[in-house]
Amino acid sequence: MATLPEWLRPGARPVSLLPQRATAHRLLRRTLGAMGRSISLLVREPDGPGVGALRTADPRAKLLAAVGLIVATTFLRGLLPLAACLALALALSAAAKVPGRRLLPVMIAVPLASTALLLPATLNIVSGGPPLLVLWRSAGGAFGPWRLPEVVAVTADGLLVAGRMVLRTTACAALALLLAATTRPQRLLGGLRSLGVPQAFVMVLAMAERYLAVLLRSAQELHLARLARSVAPIGVRREEAWAAAGVGAVFRRTRSLADAVTLAMVSRGFTGEVRLLRPACWRRTDWLLVAAAAAVAAGLLILDRRLA
Amino acid sequence: MSGSQGETVFAVEAVRFAYAGQPLCLDGVSFDVRRGERLALVGANGSGKSTLLHLLNGLFFPGEGRIAYLGSPLTEAVLDAAPFGPRFRQEVGFLFQNSDAQLFCPTVEDELAFGPLQMGWTQAEVFRRIEDTLALLEISRLRGRFPAGLSAGEKKRVALASLLVLAPSVLLLDEPTAGLDPRSQSLLLEILEALHTRGLTLVTATHDLTLLPHLADRVLVLSEEHRLVADGEPEPVLADTEMLLAVNLIHAHSHRHGRLVHTHPHQHVVAHEHVHGHHHEHEDQAEPKK
Ligand SMILES: Nc1ncnc2c1ncn2[C@@H]1O[C@H](COP(=O)(O)OP(=O)(O)OP(=O)(O)O)[C@@H](O)[C@H]1O
Ligand SMILES: [Mg+2]
Repeated sequence: MATLPEWLRPGARPVSLLPQRATAHRLLRRTLGAMGRSISLLVREPDGPGVGALRTADPRAKLLAAVGLIVATTFLRGLLPLAACLALALALSAAAKVPGRRLLPVMIAVPLASTALLLPATLNIVSGGPPLLVLWRSAGGAFGPWRLPEVVAVTADGLLVAGRMVLRTTACAALALLLAATTRPQRLLGGLRSLGVPQAFVMVLAMAERYLAVLLRSAQELHLARLARSVAPIGVRREEAWAAAGVGAVFRRTRSLADAVTLAMVSRGFTGEVRLLRPACWRRTDWLLVAAAAAVAAGLLILDRRLA
Repeated sequence: MSGSQGETVFAVEAVRFAYAGQPLCLDGVSFDVRRGERLALVGANGSGKSTLLHLLNGLFFPGEGRIAYLGSPLTEAVLDAAPFGPRFRQEVGFLFQNSDAQLFCPTVEDELAFGPLQMGWTQAEVFRRIEDTLALLEISRLRGRFPAGLSAGEKKRVALASLLVLAPSVLLLDEPTAGLDPRSQSLLLEILEALHTRGLTLVTATHDLTLLPHLADRVLVLSEEHRLVADGEPEPVLADTEMLLAVNLIHAHSHRHGRLVHTHPHQHVVAHEHVHGHHHEHEDQAEPKK
């Protein structure tokens, strides 16, 4: 019989906890918790069937409409048409009852991230034009081989460029989200396939989608496993180290599970073709959807040219 | 059921296999599986049971040696070609050890439809099969659910359903009873029993020796050196304590209850407190084997 170490025997004295600073790690812990929650939203059960006309429309029609609008959006230059496009996407999301908890994170994260990325573009160093707000003045001179600019300032042109890009990315993200939130991934892939997108391309997308789902699930499990094991807060340093190690573990696990999923598919006769139960059937309203999207796209482009 | 009783379903000849960059994990394994047989594959963790099932399912291919299905060698080229490939996939079902890997569709219904749709069956036929299979496994109420959100036992049943819907004639089962509660376990055993009486060939990998007599008429034992060390009926194999000890399937604490060898895979941390997962009579409990 194996002898148990003293600390595993019943009645062993618990180890006294190290004194902890209560606040330092709270932010990180909260972030991890939020991550877990948003992940469980993403990998939640699929939406109930048929809320709103957009959900029941043929995925091919939705794909055509969304892609058309997104392409048109990338050509828009005026702030007003771009804002109109964003408003339209949001209105449609509301009409299709896309849950706010799904919409909001994207609508906050995308503008913030693109603003952060585009901040340098507002400066006179990147975009020319008269300065609007001077941030820094120097005597000029040189730093090694580089000449230092005399002023660093925000310019009107820069602001326009950045504003246009932020609006554009946000509008495109809203449109893409609308499509994703109203169509199950498999239907979407089936739609792509029947629109003539090559099988190899659809397979890559399907793989990406599967890896992502598995990745999110393992991240959540690891997070929970870690929470389950922590009796007391462990301190920021170690929490960070854990997060770093966790990311590696998540990726390794994702790979092996996704490979196993592929084997399971092959085992049930998968040959690379997406085949669906209740294949989508194109109805008259689907033509309507495509026509409406085309009209809106054309309208926005014309408005844009007029205003320019 | 296709095929006649007693014909050789799988012929495994001197198979050696290693994962890329890894040491050998099957070393010179040879055996035949006959039509209608119930075969159990036992061995310690890591002995290569799952790997062998993958090879039988034509998912991996042996580095040396041959595996034949109904006389045709299983190779990548043969499996890619119609009609052999699709027929093999329809006839041989594989229940994976990890249900999460096996369930990849958005709903249970889609999960069941996957195989039949790949076979190119009509929608009406697919629906009819789904209906019957869900009823058989008592999971009709799960039809619209998201498989990843089910309990372990429910996942196992859905995974089994996704195989049965194709009407296979051979089932490869990797740890089918692991993680099931006693009721789900006996339901599963009942279903396997019923399938067996209808002529299905069952190959089950397990290390649950208590279930062996219910699962198999013949037992193969894989050693930790990845070789086959025993092949025979459950009773004599289970009686060979020395061999079972040598392959680390049981350890010195194991003792026998009636005709069952009862093992305690190191689940108990507290000294010798037995956790019994299954209910059976303890006739000679007072005589632990030395
Ligand atoms: N995908 C893989 N890549 C590399 N090595 C692997 C892979 N899968 C299994 N192995 C290794 O091959 C050996 C046999 O593994 P296998 O899963 O076949 O064992 P097993 O008998 O099914 O074990 P268990 O009872 O734990 O399920 C092990 O040493 C394992 O680490
Ligand atoms: Mg295994």
